[in-house]
Amino acid sequence: MEEETRGMAEQVPMLSVQDVHKHFGGVPVLNGVSLNLFRGDIKVVIGPSGGGKSTLLHCINFLVELDAGRIFLNGVRVNHTRKRELYAYRQKVGMIFQDFNLFDHLDALHNVMIGLVQVRKLPRSEARQRAEAELERVGLGDHMAKYPAELSGGQKQRVSIARALAMEPGVMLLDEPTSALDPELIGEVHEVIRALASRGMTMLLVTHEIGFAGTLANEIYFMDGGRIVEQGPPQKILFDAEQARTREFCSKIGRLHENSG
Amino acid sequence: MEELLFLRREVAPELLAGLWMSIQLIIPSAICGLLIGIVIGTLRVYGNRLLKGFAGLYVLFFRGFPLLVQLYLWYFGLPRIGIYLSPFASAVIGFSLCSGAYHSEYVRGALQSIRRGQLLAAYSLGFSRTRAIFSILLPQALRRALPGSGNELIYLIKYSSLAYMVTCIELTGKGSILANFYFKYMEIFSIVGAIYLLMASVVSWGLNRLEDWIAVPGFDRPKI
Repeated sequence: MEEETRGMAEQVPMLSVQDVHKHFGGVPVLNGVSLNLFRGDIKVVIGPSGGGKSTLLHCINFLVELDAGRIFLNGVRVNHTRKRELYAYRQKVGMIFQDFNLFDHLDALHNVMIGLVQVRKLPRSEARQRAEAELERVGLGDHMAKYPAELSGGQKQRVSIARALAMEPGVMLLDEPTSALDPELIGEVHEVIRALASRGMTMLLVTHEIGFAGTLANEIYFMDGGRIVEQGPPQKILFDAEQARTREFCSKIGRLHENSG
Repeated sequence: MEELLFLRREVAPELLAGLWMSIQLIIPSAICGLLIGIVIGTLRVYGNRLLKGFAGLYVLFFRGFPLLVQLYLWYFGLPRIGIYLSPFASAVIGFSLCSGAYHSEYVRGALQSIRRGQLLAAYSLGFSRTRAIFSILLPQALRRALPGSGNELIYLIKYSSLAYMVTCIELTGKGSILANFYFKYMEIFSIVGAIYLLMASVVSWGLNRLEDWIAVPGFDRPKI
């Protein structure tokens, strides 16, 4: 890894994303996105669909290759071309997907265990203990032997959170963790995310649930057209945004929530 | 009655010896064919350009050439370049390579049917590509490939009879020799056919049990 020289007084972000660009087939999706996450930060990215939010999270985890830009973890630049370094980085940055992506051929317990056994090389008994503890923590102690097809959407997402947490990441990236869920199942996932927040987990969350975002985040980013249009504390972004585009989006989403509520 | 005694005394021991040879041909060919199929099928989906090209050519050649012509090449053709294979080795190699080409297509189709999210989730946990393929994708893909690959195994049982054409005298070979000798084509080939039917039925039953055994709730085999 390439060490970056930094001022002694400056606090080093846990995760720093600098000037990330990404095109798909000539269409720009990310246009120079930069953000910093400090320890314990909970930052939420909101914005219209197609604005580049999910691509940003995929780029941070190098699941999509960056066209340009740099990612730093604890002040050290991640060199994703070095495979071992990339695999180690991904263990430290947990990722939660919109559609859960549980391994379909494994039950809940083995979904959580497999990373510990195959990647972290823990003995099976130790991996089992840790997996059981993580599943207990997300309230699925009674569902360990169930396969993904036997779980509800909310339970699947909780298993995927337990699977990511078992790897003991320093930062969690959550890509619309509730958007594929029935409204009545969203609450149980929100509860788990709130519990994570109360434990001080550093998180970058993409969501359309601006009410949830407002109560959880210490900073909200509004993304549109592949750029961060505006950022600030939840009260400012949601109710007193400077940019007209941000105000328009937040008021529309707010009305939608009021009507559906 | 006399006919039955004749069949039991003269024909059965010979056919059993032929059956034993068939089994000796089928088992290693099935195992090697499946392993080749997994490797070639995986390379066709996840190999680099060179390996994909090699795997594609492999399938083109071994699926496109008639099996009998392949067997002739291994047994009668290779001595031209100084390689002498026994009839048994020629047959096993020919069956394995041909069977592998067909298996690889079932494996390729199954791998391509696995959602990309499975690979992304494995990557996000720190899996390497190779480990993700072996630990996450292949265990799912092989479940999906099993019905097709099982079909290929049944084909193998039947096309093992071609070994006779390169002088490896298995069940069909023995039957043919006996039928010509005693001039009892109807009786002997009916028995030979029934033995193949029995083998195919046993394997088919075993494959169904295997499908049940490795079935995962909600994965491909919804219980109706």
